[in-house]
Amino acid sequence: MVIEQLTITTTPKYNFPQENINLELPRTFLELSIQSIKTSEKTFNLNNLLNFQQLTITTLENLNCLSAKVIKLKPKPDNSIVSAIDVSSIKLGETSTGFLLAIRGAIVWKQNVNYRYLRIGPFLFHVTEENKQRIYNVLRKAYFNFAHQESKAALNITSTPNIMQMQSRLTGLLEKWLQMTLTTAAKNTLILWDGSLTVGTPETPTRVVESILQTARKRENMIMAFSKATRLRLMSHRITDLLVKSRPPCLLELKGYSNVNKPIRLLGEIYVARLAKGNCTFRLDIDKEIPSEQRIEAVEKLLGNDIVSHGYPETLRLAHILCTFTANEVIAMQRFIAKKAGLNIVSQPNIRRILFGPYGKGEVDNF
Amino acid sequence: MKIYKKEGNVLQILSFPEDNIEKGDYILIEDSKARKALIAQVIDIQFANIPGMLEELLRSCPDGGNIHGEDFDPLEIAPYITYIQDSRLLICKIRASIKNEYLSPSKSWLPSRSHSIVKKLPVSRLLEMIKAKGKLPIVLGETKESSPLIIDASSLDGRLNIITGKKETGKSHLSKLLVLSLVHYGATVVIFDLNGEYAGLGYSSDGARNEYYHRIHVLTPGKNFKLMLGQLDLRVMLNILVHALRLPGTSAREFRHIWKSLKERKELSLRALGETIRNWHCNIHIRDALFSRYYALVNSGLFTDNPSEASDIEQYLFKTREKGGAVVINLRDTSSIDRQIMVEYTLGKLVELLSNWRLKAVFLFAEEAHLYLRETYWDDIVTRMRHFGIFTTFITNQPDSIRSGIYRQADNIFLFNFTNENDLEAVSRAARVDAETVKSIARDLPPHHCLVLGKAVKDFPMVVKVKRLNVKTMGGTRLFFKEKN
Ligand SMILES: Nc1ncnc2c1ncn2[C@@H]1O[C@H](COP(=O)(O)OP(=O)(O)OP(=O)(O)O)[C@@H](O)[C@H]1O
Ligand SMILES: [Mg+2]
Repeated sequence: MVIEQLTITTTPKYNFPQENINLELPRTFLELSIQSIKTSEKTFNLNNLLNFQQLTITTLENLNCLSAKVIKLKPKPDNSIVSAIDVSSIKLGETSTGFLLAIRGAIVWKQNVNYRYLRIGPFLFHVTEENKQRIYNVLRKAYFNFAHQESKAALNITSTPNIMQMQSRLTGLLEKWLQMTLTTAAKNTLILWDGSLTVGTPETPTRVVESILQTARKRENMIMAFSKATRLRLMSHRITDLLVKSRPPCLLELKGYSNVNKPIRLLGEIYVARLAKGNCTFRLDIDKEIPSEQRIEAVEKLLGNDIVSHGYPETLRLAHILCTFTANEVIAMQRFIAKKAGLNIVSQPNIRRILFGPYGKGEVDNF
Repeated sequence: MKIYKKEGNVLQILSFPEDNIEKGDYILIEDSKARKALIAQVIDIQFANIPGMLEELLRSCPDGGNIHGEDFDPLEIAPYITYIQDSRLLICKIRASIKNEYLSPSKSWLPSRSHSIVKKLPVSRLLEMIKAKGKLPIVLGETKESSPLIIDASSLDGRLNIITGKKETGKSHLSKLLVLSLVHYGATVVIFDLNGEYAGLGYSSDGARNEYYHRIHVLTPGKNFKLMLGQLDLRVMLNILVHALRLPGTSAREFRHIWKSLKERKELSLRALGETIRNWHCNIHIRDALFSRYYALVNSGLFTDNPSEASDIEQYLFKTREKGGAVVINLRDTSSIDRQIMVEYTLGKLVELLSNWRLKAVFLFAEEAHLYLRETYWDDIVTRMRHFGIFTTFITNQPDSIRSGIYRQADNIFLFNFTNENDLEAVSRAARVDAETVKSIARDLPPHHCLVLGKAVKDFPMVVKVKRLNVKTMGGTRLFFKEKN
């Protein structure tokens, strides 16, 4: 079984300035990807149970707050660029020593009426007990190098994950890299993330997110993280229910939520956003360090410059759709593995699961 | 390729673009463990129902805008994705199964999905398997794979054939090819040539005489094809009067007496017939009726009292007995009634010669027969006349002009392109193949390509590009702008 030497092709051009982009992470990603699938194994057992996609990592949070304030919004069209990032991963199947993982990220941005995208991946990894340590360490090194901030000591805080955590760790690495890259490249841009600004988990190291937010402020970018709002409560009422009475578009600013446990921290001010008619509300986190009026203004700019007809920004929806894997792509990657790595595919993938999730997502509750 | 499904005698096979399969192709499904195989024919090609396909299409159309982008795909997985997207489902009809090298029409056996080997079966190989070619090969042309499609002349012998397709697709061309091949093997052929196209069969395209020159006899009614009444049988004459000239029954009875009396006096001639009608004692209406038919005969110019003008079709038919030959009845520029008269005469003559074994058998080629063949002949042709040894090939661009009963009886159908739904419907009544095959393949046939159905191909429908013929083309359509082109 031989895998041809794959060389990195140059990153495709896109409209953001590129001088600050550090390519070490994707390069290392690719190298490890190739190395890991150069395995000597011959069978590749597609395990139905494992065959689900993982959404962007969000920490499990149950937040309770004491008060909330409704803020009316007025769309502010000003030709701001709206961009969004999302990453997704899927297990392609099991081998006798581990599993095969596919990861892909997408950046989408809107200029005038057109959407443009850049997709990175899919990268494939064969993660085993034996190589997980090496993969993780090498990637983390590349990752922390780009973050510049973390001390040697910090490197040791997170121990090597167990093999089951590798999917979220690797996905998180690519996501943070994309977020950093986009923030460094863009200027005066609304940047939408899938998730929250909660930090302190292995996937969202505090220093890294802080550094990204800092860069964003310097370059006048606005980071806005969207997620489902189902776990937010105001005096034990579901907040989503409260907002239904107010006329969209509007925000509910949450105040006085109970402290979270260390090392978890909230770097964002938390809102519940009802951006369009219908029952769709979302949790929205915006950098605390930014003055309140600017945060509100950013949401109004988003309303004025992107389509939010379903209560969710189209740019972010597209990023999400573009990175998630369809059943067809799963089959294609399995064929790729079978051909390039000479692995025999043993059982059929669980197509049902992939088909019945929205846009091909498996049902994974991340909240 | 992989078997996906089997429903009845329809197999669905998953295939990829590089398999290069087209409609009409044959597929061999070999199950080596069961030591059996199936032969199936692709009658339709569809997109495979790929999971996630809709999502992928939806990705490319966001709310109210366009999306373009680039992929940094370092492992180059994208081609694998498009490969899957381009996979297709072949809808195949099972035609036969093979066990121990023997073909059988059984279609019930189910091959293994996992270890069966599915591959394309070249038509040349299939032709070998079915032994389509015998001692009297006729090369019809080439298959898609450029191998010759060869049938055997014996598969036309004793058979009823239909050549049909829309205008200008090459029906007459194929008909000529069959005629020359039959003549080549020594057969007697009679052609009702509606457009005068067959007169060139004895010449090559440069106008020089070809090897068949002496075996092609063109008879043009009123010119080199005139009859003396004495050549006609009373029965044939009555058929002409009753069927072509619509003479009522009572008058026909009177005519019978007139004819008999003339015959007894050995005075059968046009002139004597006119005289006798004039002086015959009968009802005035009957006399008028007889007279009007009499003048129709005279005016047709088909009859003569002058022996040197008369021609004897018998004599041409006999010429074909040794080395084969074709008698072309050129019906171009002949009125509808005259056509019917000549056809009545010719068919009557053929039955007469065949029934007393002066001829062995005749291959009859009839172009647009509904224009001259009377109602009662259709059934006759497939029953009684066939029994006597008249083996007919109908050529038409109006398939509904041939009755469905004839389609069911047809042994071979040479089907050219049809796009019209009604036409396809008419043809698909043919018993020799299922309607889906006919409809699905005939719709896509390019000009000069023909789907052969029936005994000639042992009921394995095959598409052939009919070969060129080096014969003079005659009597092209009259055109105003012809010279200017
Ligand atoms: N296999 C062939 N190779 C080359 N030329 C051909 C072939 N078949 C037909 N042609 C030419 O195409 C033209 C139309 O063919 P043909 O007259 O046989 O069509 P048709 O179906 O009989 O038409 P129609 O309905 O008008 O009778 C003719 O000029 C003929 O010479
Ligand atoms: Mg014709």
